[in-house]
Amino acid sequence: MEETSDHLNPTTSTPGNTPELDPKTTMRSSKPGLKRLLITTTVLFSFLSGLPFLWKSVEIYRSQLPFHDIDSLSDQVKSTPLRFPCTFHAVFVGFRSSDPDRLRSEIQDGIDKLTRGSSQCGSCNVSLSVTVQSPDEHCSESLPASTCSYRCGVIKRDVLEDDTVDESLDDVFSGCSGDGGKVYSVVVVNKEKGDGVVKAVVGNRRHAWIVGSGLEERFGDVVVARVSEVFVKVFMNGGREDEDSIRGEFMPVGSDGRLLLSFSLLNSNPRDWIYDWDFQRIDEALLAPVTKALAPIANISVESQVLYHTPKSSFSSWDEKLQSYVFRTSDLPFFVNSNEWHLDTSAGASGRSKILQFVVYIPSGKECPLHLQLPNGEISKTNGFISPMWGGVIVWNPGNCDKDSGSPSRNMISPQDLEQIVEVFLGQFRQLFGFKSEAIYTTELGSYKILPSERGFTEWELDVLSRKHTCFNLQSCATTLGSLSRLVQSLPRMIIKDEIGEQVKYSLKAAKLAQSNASLGGYSSSASSSREARSLAENAFFHPSIMSVSYFSYEHCFAVYSPFFLPVAGHVVLAALREWKRYKQEKAKYLTWLTRKKTA
Amino acid sequence: MARLVLTRWIPLLILQSFLLAVALGSSRVVVEEEFTEALLLKPLPDRKVLAHFHFENQAPPSNSHGRHHHLFPKAISQLVQKFRVKEMELSFTQGRWNHEHWGGFDPLSSTNAKPVGVELWAVFDVPHAQVDASWKNLTHALSGLFCASINFLESSSSYASPTWGFGTNSDKLRYGSLPREAVCTENLTPWLKLLPCRDKDGISALMNRPSVYRGFYHSQRLRLSMVDSGEERLGSGMLLEQSLTVVLQPDTVSVEKQLQPSWSLSSLFGRKVVGKCVLAKSSNVYLQVEGLAHPETQTLWTNAEFELSIKPDRTLRELSCFLFVFDIDKSSDSEPFDLGLAWKLPSKWSCQQAPLHASRFLMGSGNERGAIAILLKATESHDKLYGRDLSNGRCTIKTNIFQIFPWYVKVYYHTLQIFVDQQQNTSSEVLKKINVSPSTDKMSSGMMEMMLELPCEVKSAAISIEYDKGFLHIDEYPPDANQGFDIPSALISFPDHHASLGFEEELSALPLLSKFKEESLVRSYTEVLLVPLTTPDFSMPYNVITITCTVFALYFGSLLNALRRRIGEEERFLKSKAGKKTGGLKQLLSRFTAKIRGRPVESPSLESPAAQSSVLSRKLLFKIILVAVAAAAWQYFSTK
Repeated sequence: MEETSDHLNPTTSTPGNTPELDPKTTMRSSKPGLKRLLITTTVLFSFLSGLPFLWKSVEIYRSQLPFHDIDSLSDQVKSTPLRFPCTFHAVFVGFRSSDPDRLRSEIQDGIDKLTRGSSQCGSCNVSLSVTVQSPDEHCSESLPASTCSYRCGVIKRDVLEDDTVDESLDDVFSGCSGDGGKVYSVVVVNKEKGDGVVKAVVGNRRHAWIVGSGLEERFGDVVVARVSEVFVKVFMNGGREDEDSIRGEFMPVGSDGRLLLSFSLLNSNPRDWIYDWDFQRIDEALLAPVTKALAPIANISVESQVLYHTPKSSFSSWDEKLQSYVFRTSDLPFFVNSNEWHLDTSAGASGRSKILQFVVYIPSGKECPLHLQLPNGEISKTNGFISPMWGGVIVWNPGNCDKDSGSPSRNMISPQDLEQIVEVFLGQFRQLFGFKSEAIYTTELGSYKILPSERGFTEWELDVLSRKHTCFNLQSCATTLGSLSRLVQSLPRMIIKDEIGEQVKYSLKAAKLAQSNASLGGYSSSASSSREARSLAENAFFHPSIMSVSYFSYEHCFAVYSPFFLPVAGHVVLAALREWKRYKQEKAKYLTWLTRKKTA
Repeated sequence: MARLVLTRWIPLLILQSFLLAVALGSSRVVVEEEFTEALLLKPLPDRKVLAHFHFENQAPPSNSHGRHHHLFPKAISQLVQKFRVKEMELSFTQGRWNHEHWGGFDPLSSTNAKPVGVELWAVFDVPHAQVDASWKNLTHALSGLFCASINFLESSSSYASPTWGFGTNSDKLRYGSLPREAVCTENLTPWLKLLPCRDKDGISALMNRPSVYRGFYHSQRLRLSMVDSGEERLGSGMLLEQSLTVVLQPDTVSVEKQLQPSWSLSSLFGRKVVGKCVLAKSSNVYLQVEGLAHPETQTLWTNAEFELSIKPDRTLRELSCFLFVFDIDKSSDSEPFDLGLAWKLPSKWSCQQAPLHASRFLMGSGNERGAIAILLKATESHDKLYGRDLSNGRCTIKTNIFQIFPWYVKVYYHTLQIFVDQQQNTSSEVLKKINVSPSTDKMSSGMMEMMLELPCEVKSAAISIEYDKGFLHIDEYPPDANQGFDIPSALISFPDHHASLGFEEELSALPLLSKFKEESLVRSYTEVLLVPLTTPDFSMPYNVITITCTVFALYFGSLLNALRRRIGEEERFLKSKAGKKTGGLKQLLSRFTAKIRGRPVESPSLESPAAQSSVLSRKLLFKIILVAVAAAAWQYFSTK
């Protein structure tokens, strides 16, 4: 070191003097040295160049998520509501003078008028065709290109009977290779003679028929309007009044696409009487077709139990006039006794599947018979109520309310009673899905009789459910993935495992598949793939490893590295700065010496 | 919130198909689910009373298990379906069973004396590779069901798979126990939820929480087993036994010290039985009295020694005890069933003991190593003869010892020593069979099963084994690491000794008695051991980091400074300074400030050196005071 400092000032001026150190000296005759400046800057830069490696070493693993695809999916779902192709076919039988093209445009106008303003997701892209069959079995048609033709003369004017017509209409249109072979049809039959009563029936396949006499005279106002009403209000919207009743949060299906129906028979006081049921037979005979029919929408499983000592938690009062105990609609929020009704012990419902509780409540001897009084003072016929997203309750009164003084009687609920209970269950189940439980659907233009299905849901209702469900699933999938991507982007220290990335990828894939299926008209296939998309998205969002954010935070990192790097950085930076300053100063001195030398 | 179903949905076809199904199905024979309840009361020699609640719930074989149930709890059968459990026992215990006074050789103690905390074992009906996965899932499900931390048994270092030492021989058996689990009413409530009547009615209505938990011992047990139907189509039925064993101290106001305390159900539990659970097929209360001096069968229930408040429906006798049977069908709200026992004469008796009494303790001191010893002492059991194995011409007592060691207790199996009557024994003489699976660090716990054949005339036998205490990783310590670590109880069983109570009368109808009639293996659990391990200072890693980093930073800084030092220059400067002498103190101060400010030392100016330096020092003083105030404020506010 010494030699370097000597080297630095080989002054030509008087050697005893110290020109460099003395601050008052303003000149030096030698070039200032670079050695120390070089050393300090090298150290500084090696530290700076080491920083990226350090940064890399403390970085955490993040699987690459397809943010762009997620954004485009949610944009797409938001901007263009999903629409399914629907094929409507109207057949007018027994009309003499009608131009099918004019009819078609009129019906189309009616449909447009009814669907206006409600461009909600899961509705139809209508393709309409009209056939008019004159009494002498001569047909004229107005068809768009892709639909099938109706074989003229198949429907006779006088053979329409409710029970069989559904099947025969299905046969008539079975040859159609429309979108997925699904054609919704309305057959309007103008009878030759009759009492002028117009009968409108919606079958449990995809067909409706309006039968009446003298329809030709009332053509413009009634018939066309009713036909378009059937298409829109029944086939497209499932007969629901309020369009938003089946918004996402009211779809009783778990986010993994599973639904568990838990049936419980509650003996509120077994000391009075004990009732049991043979639910297995009910399950096999009555519920299995329903669960099978709903298979594309939800994976439904059924279980049952009998519970005892389960009093309700609201009070009931004796009504002299009705000769029974009554509870009012205002009591309903307090009816379910969550302290004593241990309904929810189900290992079968794992994860995020939804449980719907259906409860049959048998009142104790002190409150028998127990009836639900409606606000208008009448007694409810079903004696039950539903609670959206929770399930339904039915109060079932034993046939004889006088309890024996001796030991309690053990009874089985008779098959007839059980069958009635299941009917109410099915009604409640339909209501939970947003459908009506009535067999009559009334609009301003008249009422429609709706034929029930043994499976609880008719085919056109299932179609509506599939459409709505696909739409809701896609929306939910898009929002979930959107939140996930926002979350991931906002937390840069979060670990994202490969599994999450995979799930997101597959979810997007399934969503794409659902969209393409929907555009092709595959209702059930799009419903099931949208279900998969949603459940994968939820799985990714609720992946357990996503909770491992909080460890190894910035604070932690700082606490570990700062004791070394802060003091060292101080040294290195200060040294470099000082050397740089000194170099500048010395150089200035040297320059002044040079100029003075020149001038001298 | 709730909406009304106004009108009915009328599917006509439903009715048809339903009636058809009923017509088809009615030919099938239906075996119903059955539920029975029983309570056994037993005065104990040490002035306490034992109450043993026993509930049995049986589900017939059926193909819809896990889905439709009438009496059998849905949760349990779903558990069975999901994890394919073949047999399972779960017990929650507080307190230690007193083998000397409460008995060690009867069916009650051999099945209901359980180790402290939670014990769980299960046999699965799955392929070998899936057993561990099933076990893990089962522990999680049970911990949710019973509000307990059974899920800690999930980690592979907390359970073991005993082969023969446990008594149940199966290679799909898993066993684990949590000695530190606190058992209280939050575990009892879900357990009661599995009963059809819960604690609303019947015998279980007696379970008044304060009186149950005031006892000396309480053990709530749940045992599940499959009953093979023989038919492949139906699978197997399920049998769920739930029992609660409580040892209570009756409140005594008796004058005489010698007299056993008199009690009644209402004085023990604070409640009375007002009727049976209407769903139970049978509902009985038993009173077991041992060691009667004057057995006269006719008027046994009110004799010279004691008096019962209710006449028993039946009286059964065994070799050493009497059993009074009461049906509680007749009780009602107006006349509740309140059984009482009043002693008239002082009475003393002793319980049957297991052939050997086991205790376990730690030896050695310090935080480094120690030894575990199990001491088996002969009891004054009068029927040792039962267990005689005379095949070799020698009378021996076979003893199985099953012990789990956590991995941080590193046992040296070669140090195993066996002393018989204080004489060290070469192992082969006594030790007939031993199975050891050593522990793997942080992976699996160690397990030792050994079978001893001790001579009948043995007074005491001791087994000792040495261990080293392991070090845990810093994040493996529990929150209260300084409390120490528990070594689960060892299980001592006597494979040749079976306890049973055979009553002569035909009693197949009474479930508890048929249970007693079955021969059960005599077993006892030892104490839980508490091993203190070295616990580190948990802030240590940060201290280490800080110290090493500071040292490195110092080194690095001084190295850098040395590199850029100009020694020749400084020397010359100092020399020139020496020429112009100034006051020593002032010079020092100015050099000090120069050091702080990082400027070359100023030569003291001629104008007003004193004033300048005083300004400097004032500034410095001000800075120091500022820092001190800040530090004090920080201290004050942070401790607040």
